[in-house]
Amino acid sequence: MAAVFLIVSAVLYFLYHLIPGDPVKAELANFVKENKNLTAEQIEAEKQAITVRLGLDQPLPLRYIRWITGLFTGNLGYSQSYRQPVAQVITAPMQNTVILNLMSVVLALSLTIPLGIACAVKKDSVFDRVTQIVTMVGYGVPVYIIALLFIYVFAVVLRWFPVSGMNTPGAEFSSVSGWLLDRIKYMALPLLVMTAGSLGGMTRYVRTAMVDALGQDYIRTARAKGLPERAVIFSHAWRNALLPVIALIISWFLGIFGGSLIIENIFGLNGVGKLLYDALMQKDYELVLAAQMFYVVISLAGNLFLDLIYGVVDPRIRVAK
Amino acid sequence: MKKNEEAVQTPLWTVCRRFSENKAAMAGAVVFLLIFLIMLLGPLFFPLDLSYSESTQANVPPGRSLMKLPPELKGNLAEIAVGATFSVGLSTEGKVFVWGHGQVTGTTDVAEIPQEVQESVITVVAAGNDHVVALSADNRIFVWGNTRLGQGDFPEALKNAGRVVQIAAGNQCSAAVDENGRAYLWGNENLCDIQIEEEYQGKIRKLVFTGFAYAALLEDGTVAYTGKKETAVSDIPERARQGGVKDLASTAQTVAAVFEDGTVLVWGNCVKGEERVPETDAGFVKLSGGRYHYTAVTKTGELLSWGDDSFGQARPPKRKKKTAVNVFCGGYQNYALYEDGSVETWGLKGYFCGTDEFGRDILVRLLNGGRMTMTVGAAAVVISTVLGVLIGGISGYFGGKVDLLLQRFTEIVSALPFLPFAMILSSVIGSSMTENSRIFLIMVVLGVLSWPGLARLVRAQVLAEREKEFVTAARSVGVREAVIVFRHVIPNVLSVIIVSATLDFATCMLTESSLSYLGFGVMPPQPTWGNMLSGANNSTVIRSYWWRWVFPAVVFAVCTVCIHLTGDGLRDALDPKTEER
Repeated sequence: MAAVFLIVSAVLYFLYHLIPGDPVKAELANFVKENKNLTAEQIEAEKQAITVRLGLDQPLPLRYIRWITGLFTGNLGYSQSYRQPVAQVITAPMQNTVILNLMSVVLALSLTIPLGIACAVKKDSVFDRVTQIVTMVGYGVPVYIIALLFIYVFAVVLRWFPVSGMNTPGAEFSSVSGWLLDRIKYMALPLLVMTAGSLGGMTRYVRTAMVDALGQDYIRTARAKGLPERAVIFSHAWRNALLPVIALIISWFLGIFGGSLIIENIFGLNGVGKLLYDALMQKDYELVLAAQMFYVVISLAGNLFLDLIYGVVDPRIRVAK
Repeated sequence: MKKNEEAVQTPLWTVCRRFSENKAAMAGAVVFLLIFLIMLLGPLFFPLDLSYSESTQANVPPGRSLMKLPPELKGNLAEIAVGATFSVGLSTEGKVFVWGHGQVTGTTDVAEIPQEVQESVITVVAAGNDHVVALSADNRIFVWGNTRLGQGDFPEALKNAGRVVQIAAGNQCSAAVDENGRAYLWGNENLCDIQIEEEYQGKIRKLVFTGFAYAALLEDGTVAYTGKKETAVSDIPERARQGGVKDLASTAQTVAAVFEDGTVLVWGNCVKGEERVPETDAGFVKLSGGRYHYTAVTKTGELLSWGDDSFGQARPPKRKKKTAVNVFCGGYQNYALYEDGSVETWGLKGYFCGTDEFGRDILVRLLNGGRMTMTVGAAAVVISTVLGVLIGGISGYFGGKVDLLLQRFTEIVSALPFLPFAMILSSVIGSSMTENSRIFLIMVVLGVLSWPGLARLVRAQVLAEREKEFVTAARSVGVREAVIVFRHVIPNVLSVIIVSATLDFATCMLTESSLSYLGFGVMPPQPTWGNMLSGANNSTVIRSYWWRWVFPAVVFAVCTVCIHLTGDGLRDALDPKTEER
């Protein structure tokens, strides 16, 4: 895991240094703008100073080592476009992204799992068929089309939610609850879109896993010995269906973070995805790198977390160890 | 026949039969193939002009009724003035009718004829790009439509003018000529030269507007450029300056003069063949100009058109028995009035899917964008499938250190967050590339990043297959390892590969369109379904110009859903175990 992290970070770091653009020149331009009447020597001296300050006088591998050690000590570099340390720039968006994604994961799971189980139990009923078709559509349609549709219905026609933004511009709130309510109003639509976008795939996974589990011999045994249907479904079938579901949650979880990148840009939410987009547009590569590492860490952490959960859910894995 | 007595079938036949029995999958496959064929062949019939842009046709809603003459005008038509996408008709009783697309903004529409106009007897109408000027029998002038840029602010002098004999409307400007030969011009000065040299006042008979200037026919039959700016039409040819001109007509960039002897002379910025006047024995009597074409009536009542023919506007119908008496052109539309009072139309009827903000036909972009999206998706799937099968196959079959190494490699690639990484690759490497190599890069990036899933699947399948007897048998007769992997083992896991490739195709199309949507994929003007939607990301477009996002969204959604249906059906057909699901 750690090795993967190092290799990925190295690949990314070297890749970013292919970005055309000269950070020294950009810094120097700012310096010249701020201080009028400079002599050529002064400019040259400042250029040298900036090169040293940005560490660009050293070879690339050395710079990488410095950067990666800085990463572990919380020093993520300096953002050219914000003129602030990256760590400072990225904190708030990171919180927003994580909150948005966790909320949508919780919401999606709490909807899809019961739905998937219900579909599997009532297999081939009208309810199941309808859900299958609806989820197929949700599964196949890209998230930004769902977003456009939802904006049209909820923001344009019904006017329940604002089209984009984080909170009402220029509004002052006397109480925390007022601020929170405003925030929720703005977060609702993106959250709804994200949840709807991931509903399709997960429901289908859960249903498939459940159908498989319900077809096993031990289910027949459980029913034969007269266990109540609730116990059969929830403690016999579901516990076994959970394993493939969890395996699929990995890729789905990462997909959600990728999807939130689009959502943040559509709704203008101040998240890492939007930050990455803006930073890429402004060629602010220290910031791009940090945002990118955020996604890498999320994906690795997701993997690790799910490995651990696997152990909790499946006693056989614990035994094997 | 009983089920257990069924004839022996080849596996392929079984798969086909099982697939065809699955109604949803069959429907999906048929619809997908249909879309695929349309996207493949459509661009041949609707070629894309990447540099095309036409401001007068922007945001036209879908429809084919731009030239649908109201029934009230049939038989008693006096005159038609044609704007960019709408037409104004005048009946012989002096009633005004507007049809076509005249929506200027959310609140103004040329089709909303003011009450005063409806109550007056109108004698002359003129249509600009987005406004209408009408002259009533009691010498009053009305302007409606887009009047935000002074199209309706009559100059003070017009109040004291004599009886107005001609009115004209151009690109956000209007003009009137009175019986004393004085011209009055008003409107937006920035787009069009609407000043007038004082020496010509009192001599003017008629004015015609181009997109940026105007030309005047004087009382003595000569043509003069009476404006003050130097433009493409201000250099009047020697022949027109000497007199003998009967009438004037204009397109967006040129002016044409009809001489007494029935010949026509065109000058100005002739970019679409406006100067190629066809030869005819009978002289021209009536001439009218559209945006880039002219249509004329000859002495014998024949219709002749020349110039731009992109919407069939320069192909008048051939009616041997009827004689045309007048013709009205504008934009891309033509109306010919025959002797018997009937009206014939040709040219641009409308757009099936509307137009976007640059006036480009959505249907054409949809077809060409579909081809691009599918090409990128297909190429990416081929790359990722080849990589996935190779790496998964080798890793699964050889095991040991090779497996370990490849497994780690797979892990690294799948740890790269897909969308952000693809964005960066495309902006880092792609920024210095031409558009075509950029598209190629996107195919490669998508392919190179999306193989790990398939590689894992193939590896797991190969692991199971390699322990089977036929592999041992092949090895014992001395078949080479590489041949065993790719000729003996892989065909047995082909079903997994086919299903995965089908579903990956949808995923790759989806990712490509997401990238293009964000502006890191294929760049406009080259259309893809993703970047066609990216322009729609604001509430005005979502609400008012629904056709700009609904059509690409629906086609794309239907397409991906059908691919998924097909893929699922294929999996069920190939693997009987999943049937009970």
